[in-house]
Amino acid sequence: MSRKFLETEGPAWVADGLISEEQRLKLLARYPPEASAGGLLPVLGSVLVGLSGLSLVAANWQALPEALRLALLLGSLLAAYAAGAYFLRRGNPDLGHGLIGLGLLLFGASIVLTSQLYQLVGYDASGLLAWVVAGVALSYVYGSRLLVLLTVLIGAAVQTYCVEALGSFSYATGVLVAAGLGYYWWRRPDVVGSTVLAAGLLWQAGLLIIVLHAKITWFFVPAMAVYAAGDWQANRAGGRALQGPPLAAAYLFMFGLATFGETDTYANVLRPPLLSYLAALGAVLAVSVTGKRMRGRLASLPDWLLLLPGFYLPGGLPLAVATLVVLYAHAGSVLARADRDQDAEQLTVGAVLFVAATAVAYFKLTWAFLDKSLFFLLGGSLLLGLSWYLRRRNARRMGDSVVSTAEEQPSRR
Amino acid sequence: MPDLLTWFSEPTRRRPLLRLLVAAQVLYVLGVAGAGYATAAFGAHIVLTTAPVDPHDLLYGDFVRLRYSISEVPLELWRAAAPPRRRQGVFVLLAPGPDSTSTAVGVYAAAPRAAAGQVVLRGWVTEVYRHALGLRFNLERYYVPASSALRLEKAGRQHPLRVRVSIAPWGQARIAGVEEELAKTPEPSR
Repeated sequence: MSRKFLETEGPAWVADGLISEEQRLKLLARYPPEASAGGLLPVLGSVLVGLSGLSLVAANWQALPEALRLALLLGSLLAAYAAGAYFLRRGNPDLGHGLIGLGLLLFGASIVLTSQLYQLVGYDASGLLAWVVAGVALSYVYGSRLLVLLTVLIGAAVQTYCVEALGSFSYATGVLVAAGLGYYWWRRPDVVGSTVLAAGLLWQAGLLIIVLHAKITWFFVPAMAVYAAGDWQANRAGGRALQGPPLAAAYLFMFGLATFGETDTYANVLRPPLLSYLAALGAVLAVSVTGKRMRGRLASLPDWLLLLPGFYLPGGLPLAVATLVVLYAHAGSVLARADRDQDAEQLTVGAVLFVAATAVAYFKLTWAFLDKSLFFLLGGSLLLGLSWYLRRRNARRMGDSVVSTAEEQPSRR
Repeated sequence: MPDLLTWFSEPTRRRPLLRLLVAAQVLYVLGVAGAGYATAAFGAHIVLTTAPVDPHDLLYGDFVRLRYSISEVPLELWRAAAPPRRRQGVFVLLAPGPDSTSTAVGVYAAAPRAAAGQVVLRGWVTEVYRHALGLRFNLERYYVPASSALRLEKAGRQHPLRVRVSIAPWGQARIAGVEEELAKTPEPSR
């Protein structure tokens, strides 16, 4: 409960006779004021501090003698780690972990700057691999969400450098992040960490597809492998959070197909060999379904509707109809599931997906021949009407459930 | 047998583990420095010529981009059975020329045996042209020290350079230094 909320509303409650003055003071005492920064603030803070130190020193870097440069790098590294350990001992975990994160960033900077000092340009990313290893090791030791986030970012950065500057994919980096941080996620799934890990893994998968010059739809095989891992996670929230980025990617792709579906023009980048693609995706589907069945989550199976490979259809009417059917079916499944679970958030998501599908259908149907002002008028009123209807329906459903639980209360007592 | 994560995050083990990890990191950085020093100290030194360099590069970063005379070699020098492919790792056999700069005498797919006076430099194929091969050696960046004369050049003057490269016995190569070659031809009129 937010203390500020208590402070502002407390006197009103006392005045209305909801609580006594003594109870108000007890409540206030229970929630002492403390600044709670979200887990992402220390990440941003340490990244920015690391960058500022880097740019300051880099501006005057070439003027310094060799030994002094090394001493500066190693000295700041040791200082950051020492300070981090000190604050952790003192009982400031946020600051301590932030400083250890800074030390990790300084390690990476040291590797890069020392290589430049001796004009060493890497033949592969093996020099920077130590950075990823250090990140994974520190995450294991401290179990800090900040360090996990930093390591995912470092892995993504090293992989990007490897692909951009050296033109090859570092499988070692990919395996380290996936296996090292994956194991960590398996044991300690938290929502933010899961989402960031999934996004980082998807980024590296995208880089792999680029390097292999594979058709871009192959991206969904590793992406849905990440999704399938979420199905096996015992912790439901953590598993669902890991599945967020792959589902978002699949949805955006299906949406793009529906809106711009000219697959024949893009056939050479979109259509991998049918059998191998279906076989690979089918294998991942099997893993996912097995996990869902084991954890009793078969209700979320319609998520896979978004992976139907509509891009094999010829462009034009068949593709438009197929993708719209999929979008509607998926939105309907989300709504049905939210209805059954009485989950207000899922109801909103389902409503938004439904409205989006209708918007695409309307766009495709009328853009070509309807007068533009009439198009926008009809479209706007359709969307408004639809959202009003869905909201009313949701409110009535939630109201029914509240009434039914309220009726149950007296009988339970 | 306790699992990996529990073992690592055991509270009493944190401080010694942190010390171990930090020591490992410091040693690693020193190792990179040592490798750099050793490559220059124990390596075979050769001199390569580059195409004229544009000092403007320094305005955008701390390094200049170098393009070597051996960055493009005639296709006749290819000495393997299979045709060359892009991004393929190759070994370039270099021999010293009359003015002590090295030129390519052969490009191999596997490490060749170097005769006396010759050295092998690792490279990658960037492009395969009809009659030539484009090569990259990861020596194309030179981080210019503050005291170098290159920094004092006025913009617009372009010089070819003589680059001293050191190739360690274990194959790592680095730029050991750069000598400026003053332009012998008059500046082209604009």
